[in-house]
Amino acid sequence: MAQIDLGAISVTEANKLIRQYGEAGEDVDILNPDARHHIGVGLTHPITARVHGSAGYFCAGLTDGPKFVIENNVGWGLADNMLSGSVVVHGNAGAIAGVAIRGAEVVVHGNMGSRAGQVMKEGTLCCRGNANFMAGYMMYGGRIIILGDSGDKVGEDVTGGSIYVAGKIQSLGSDAKVFDLPSDELDSIMEFLDRYEIPFKGTFQKIQNSGKGLRYSKIEPRVRNIPFYTFSGESDYWNQKVQEDIHVKAQIGRYRIRGYGAARPLPHLGDIAFRKDLTSAGSDSGVLDRVNLATEVGGKNGADPLKLSMPLLIAPMSYGALSKSTKVALATASRLSGIAENTGEGGMSDEQREEADQLVYQCLSGRLGWNIHDMQRANGLEIYISQGAKPGLGGQLMAKKVTKEIARIRGIPEGIDLRSPSRHPDVLGADDLVIKVEEFREATGYTIPVSVKLGAGRVRDDIKIAMKDGFDYVQLDGLQGSTGAAGNEVLEYVGIPTISAIQEALDALAEIDCSGQLQIILMGGVKDGVDAAKAIALGADAVAVGTGAIIAGGCIACMQCHVGTCVVGIATQDPEHEKRYNTAVEARNMHRYFESIRWQMAAIADAHGYTDIQQLGRGDLVALTPEVAEITGLPYEPGYRNTQPVAAE
Amino acid sequence: MTDNVYNIDRIDPGAAPEGSKDDVALPHYVPAPCQVACPVGTDAPSYIGYIWEGKIEEAYEAITATNPFSSICGRVCDAPCEPACRRADSDGAIGIRNLKRYVMDKLGKDFRLPVSEVTQKQTVGIVGGGPAGLTAAQDLAEAGYEVHVYEMTDRLGGMMIWGIPAFRLPVGIIDEDIERMMAHCPGIKVHLNTPLGDEGVTLDELKERHDAVLLTIGAWWGKSMKVEGDDNERVVDGVSYLRRINNGERPKTPEVVTVIGGGDVAMDACRAAKRMPGCKDVKVIYRRSPEEIPARKDELEGALKENIEFIYNEQPVAMIPDGDNLKLRCVRTEMGEPDEDGRRRPINVEGSEHDIDCGMVIMAVGQQSESTHLEAKGLMDRDRVKTDWETMQTSDPKVFAAGDGAFGGSTIVMAMQHGHRAAYYVKASLQGHENVVPYRTPFRTRDVPVSQDPEWELFHREEQAFHGLGDDPVSFPEIETTYDELSARKEAARCYRCDVETGASDYTVHNREDIFVMARTAPEDERTQFAMLHKRLLPRDNPYPEGGKPSFDDLVFLPANLSRLVIDPYRDACNVTTQIAGKLTSASPGLITGFDDAPDEVREDVGAGIADHGGAYVGRRPLPGVENWLQLVDGPGDMNAAASGYILLDAKGDYVAFKAAAGDKLCGVVLTHDDLADRLAKSLEAELDVVLLDGTGGAGEAWSELHANCDLELMRDTIQCLRSMNREEDVTPLYFGGLRSGTDIAKAISLGCRAGILGIAAAMAAGGTVENGAISFYSDYSREDRREGIANILKASAGEASIMARCTGKTDVHNLEPEDLRSVTIATARAARIPLAGTHRFLEAAE
Repeated sequence: MAQIDLGAISVTEANKLIRQYGEAGEDVDILNPDARHHIGVGLTHPITARVHGSAGYFCAGLTDGPKFVIENNVGWGLADNMLSGSVVVHGNAGAIAGVAIRGAEVVVHGNMGSRAGQVMKEGTLCCRGNANFMAGYMMYGGRIIILGDSGDKVGEDVTGGSIYVAGKIQSLGSDAKVFDLPSDELDSIMEFLDRYEIPFKGTFQKIQNSGKGLRYSKIEPRVRNIPFYTFSGESDYWNQKVQEDIHVKAQIGRYRIRGYGAARPLPHLGDIAFRKDLTSAGSDSGVLDRVNLATEVGGKNGADPLKLSMPLLIAPMSYGALSKSTKVALATASRLSGIAENTGEGGMSDEQREEADQLVYQCLSGRLGWNIHDMQRANGLEIYISQGAKPGLGGQLMAKKVTKEIARIRGIPEGIDLRSPSRHPDVLGADDLVIKVEEFREATGYTIPVSVKLGAGRVRDDIKIAMKDGFDYVQLDGLQGSTGAAGNEVLEYVGIPTISAIQEALDALAEIDCSGQLQIILMGGVKDGVDAAKAIALGADAVAVGTGAIIAGGCIACMQCHVGTCVVGIATQDPEHEKRYNTAVEARNMHRYFESIRWQMAAIADAHGYTDIQQLGRGDLVALTPEVAEITGLPYEPGYRNTQPVAAE
Repeated sequence: MTDNVYNIDRIDPGAAPEGSKDDVALPHYVPAPCQVACPVGTDAPSYIGYIWEGKIEEAYEAITATNPFSSICGRVCDAPCEPACRRADSDGAIGIRNLKRYVMDKLGKDFRLPVSEVTQKQTVGIVGGGPAGLTAAQDLAEAGYEVHVYEMTDRLGGMMIWGIPAFRLPVGIIDEDIERMMAHCPGIKVHLNTPLGDEGVTLDELKERHDAVLLTIGAWWGKSMKVEGDDNERVVDGVSYLRRINNGERPKTPEVVTVIGGGDVAMDACRAAKRMPGCKDVKVIYRRSPEEIPARKDELEGALKENIEFIYNEQPVAMIPDGDNLKLRCVRTEMGEPDEDGRRRPINVEGSEHDIDCGMVIMAVGQQSESTHLEAKGLMDRDRVKTDWETMQTSDPKVFAAGDGAFGGSTIVMAMQHGHRAAYYVKASLQGHENVVPYRTPFRTRDVPVSQDPEWELFHREEQAFHGLGDDPVSFPEIETTYDELSARKEAARCYRCDVETGASDYTVHNREDIFVMARTAPEDERTQFAMLHKRLLPRDNPYPEGGKPSFDDLVFLPANLSRLVIDPYRDACNVTTQIAGKLTSASPGLITGFDDAPDEVREDVGAGIADHGGAYVGRRPLPGVENWLQLVDGPGDMNAAASGYILLDAKGDYVAFKAAAGDKLCGVVLTHDDLADRLAKSLEAELDVVLLDGTGGAGEAWSELHANCDLELMRDTIQCLRSMNREEDVTPLYFGGLRSGTDIAKAISLGCRAGILGIAAAMAAGGTVENGAISFYSDYSREDRREGIANILKASAGEASIMARCTGKTDVHNLEPEDLRSVTIATARAARIPLAGTHRFLEAAE
């Protein structure tokens, strides 16, 4: 039995050692833990680690297989996302014990804090004492056994799984209901308690989802879009589109859902022009040889950066919203073009990992598909706070797309109208976030960049927090960013335009004297190399494209992504529809689209006489509308609208 | 899908010819790939849209606009549109050709186009009455010229009539098109049985009679294989064979027939032979592999279904007489490197000679043109009339040429393109133009809405019923039937409508199609990359031109992210219950108004819907079942004891007396911009509970929102005025005018109002339709739907307002504040006094 003294070495060094002992199959004793955070994080070997004292946040988090014993108390986030193995705590546990576990067994001999078992998917969380409020909040599966009393709102918004309470139930959460306890379930609980040598005589009340609220009761009638140009306008305020909207809502009694992003025109990169006469841009062949486009992202804190052949990434889009074939095609295209692909919310598939050379792995509030193994094989980790299409809200995936396979990879029940939580269980503010980022770094040995994805809202504040919290880079997504499903009103009216977002971000960094110290990837309606060059000239470090790539790969922009019967086989999980998609052809098409973006960026930089794309600057730009001038501070020069080059050869 | 429609011509199309009906002025218009693929630019998306709408005459107009042989093309066009169709890769191209046939079968026979009279003095002589010649004739006749068509056979139609067997193109179809053309263009004079030359009419005579001559003489003669034995009497060429059949002959045919070739003539010949008396087996021999065969997929499949055998990679090298039979000596081939046209070249395999026994060989290996008369005039270049594609002129400037005879054997639709093109240059020449704007196929759109069938994604391609040989093959019964109305509409619904605007302003058709082209351009193709870059550099139109009105649409909410704690927004954790001045409670921040003069039945249903949701009504008369009723009154005399409160419509009235009459009940006054500050002060003085801000200026009148939209300034000025008196908490503003959704209500709340009042939106939810400046209700809307519609619109608005609040991190919609908003236009920033997104500067109202 090896010993590690946390009085002598840092947690980071200790975790390295624990993993080495794990590989060697040797159990460890951890002395003087003194409630330090992140003890044992990232361990994937079935050894026993005994903590002699109290542990801090995220003890045994992001692990698979080990047995942990903690002699005293633990802080919040105990056994975060633990896949298998066990944790036994002899004292009390703080908030969100057993958060997002996917198979582990967690036993707390004392009391548990609030929101125990939040978004857990599988496994057992057992508490001998009392549980504080909202135990089982938004859980998707597994079981919570509470031998004492449960606090307020137990089972709040529970989707799947069961909560067994032996003591008093202070109150039930919304959507929760008490059911009879079947004898086989009682037997199984008793077997569990025996195994952990917990004496118990008595019985339980079983709490589950009431059976309501998992599916929308009325299906929204499907329509094909009315073009945006009849969206509003003084001549016809109560136009066809408004009427249709009212009629649909009068039928369903709730907000409407669709795919894509803000549909109406907003101030955008298209309202900016280059000052330079670009008539001959690209006319001399070989622009790619004359301009450096290679860009590294995320290395500021010593992690291995993403090495991009140009300042372009693929925006995060989930397997779930998109078919597996589409995700694989995106991965292939990213490899062919030397850029990075992003998993989005729905977890990582082996096929996608194999195809992509550089893959960013996204962690969302519901921890859908999140696990230590995929973290360790990712090239970047990203904490999703929000996205431009629906900032402030979680993702949605309609039941038609929550197939067996998708439910398995995400760890949720099949066939529900999935609404992801809008915030992380363990990130309630900026200070929690620092600890969360550290947990990721501990789990992956500080080698993988950790970024944050932000939908643009109060960007000025958010960017300062992101800077303070030590993120390696930011993915900033404006109101024009798209999604596979969100409420129409949120898509249109929540968040600020992409161009406003980058401006606020730059202003914020300048205000705290950190200009240039936090890389910003701008996204939300970037369609081509011209947009990309303008974004970079404005001050973004790189851009990401999502919808553009999907259109390049065959999407026809019918905006019915949420329905699940995508006509071209992209936004679907139905094998009959997925068959319509030719992965190899569309991977090639998307690759060519990226190459065309590359050529456009290079030709624009070259025409300015620059040898590096990053030499483009604000001095090269003018605003064509008063709005964009006011937002960006660029000079308002509407005359440039008419002096733009006309395509000619 | 064929990628070749995503070519540089689409990015950089150049100028359209003068006078062309090129209707691309619609700002969003990009021709769809099917239209680009069509040699005559048929506006397929529009006619498909019309078919779905049931507007068959409009569809007919779209079809025939550029295609004088639409009835024929509905059956036998090689339809290059279909492989270009973007749905081809998905679950099958739209049946564009058969949809055309559906329309033409319905209307083609009797429908007539308006008559084009002769208005010009000059005349044109056209030699050859095939598709190229007749298309040119129609274009020229439409331009007012008298046109004389000289045809060597006894009927018009050319290869359409002599080349296509009746099982594909029944007798009479061609007459539909020709009769339509002749009725449409009385200036076309036809001279049948008049070949070019001394036995008919000579070129000199034509030049003498007419101001221009167009030669569309076709490629009438089959090519020979030039192998040993091809002069045997049992060896015929494909076009001659089809000519005989199409002239009505049904010759007794050997049991086994071999057809050599893989094109459309080979397909027609093999299928015709199969139907001949005595014939049992037909084999088609093609020298390349199945991937290279040029025959249209449908024809090939039809032949296969008729049990015709295909032998690939086989090259005939000799035809050897063998008694009553022939031995066709062949070698095997294998596929080599691609040649100039991209198809792989067949290479003979040495020592693979073998014989195929048959009674007859049909060579369908190409066509050629012949004219000793023209040759003598020096106008021929080997087997074609020597013609300059750029001008369509022959070496004689007065003589033009087009079609197969000038450019080699091709399809009907290509011949029509040549006809249009030639007519354009002939016309330019007649008008004495030099240095003519180059011809381009015009692309028109008719701006037809997309189909609204919700199942459009799911429908599979509707195939035509295929009958094959039929009961009596030798009589050539037609092989296929067209759609019935239901299947035509289903097929039409499938169309992606690549030509129409999407619902997303960022992904306009232009942007989408440019992305499509970028994705289909090879990285090394710098010419296309260059053209695309310069197209992408063009600025978009200003979406907010000066003088634009302020609008709710141009306000956005600032979501809470890292900087604020967000409660879970999907659940009922945000309060929407709305208390007004502590005297009235509504379950929704949206109140309902406007049904005072609606039919009694509607009033009952709306009342029930409001009551179901726990909402409130604002109006002159009570609604049945509604307890929460704010009565609009002209003065204290109107007050109804059943009301929960009173709102004075007469803003000039005596507020103090009004308040006294109202007693403890809620009371307020309707305010507009008129004397706003004074009246607000008076309201405060009289201790009124609410001020109803009327953005329409017509509160209390029927449907005043139809005549006025939102009024952000009214809210701004009210709040600023109250703030300047430091009395914001002392009176409750309500807002009425242009509210369409819960989001609009949430914005009004953010701007300082307590609740919003829904008029037109509620009327529409109850099934009302806007007619002649008012709302009408009809009996076809069920009472239950009306009731539910009202309850649902209240529920949905409350839900939407709640989501907006939750996104900003609020647990009560009434906690929304101006700081939660930003504007996206300057007009709105000024009107609402809300900074532009990305800034925090207030733009003051313009003086």
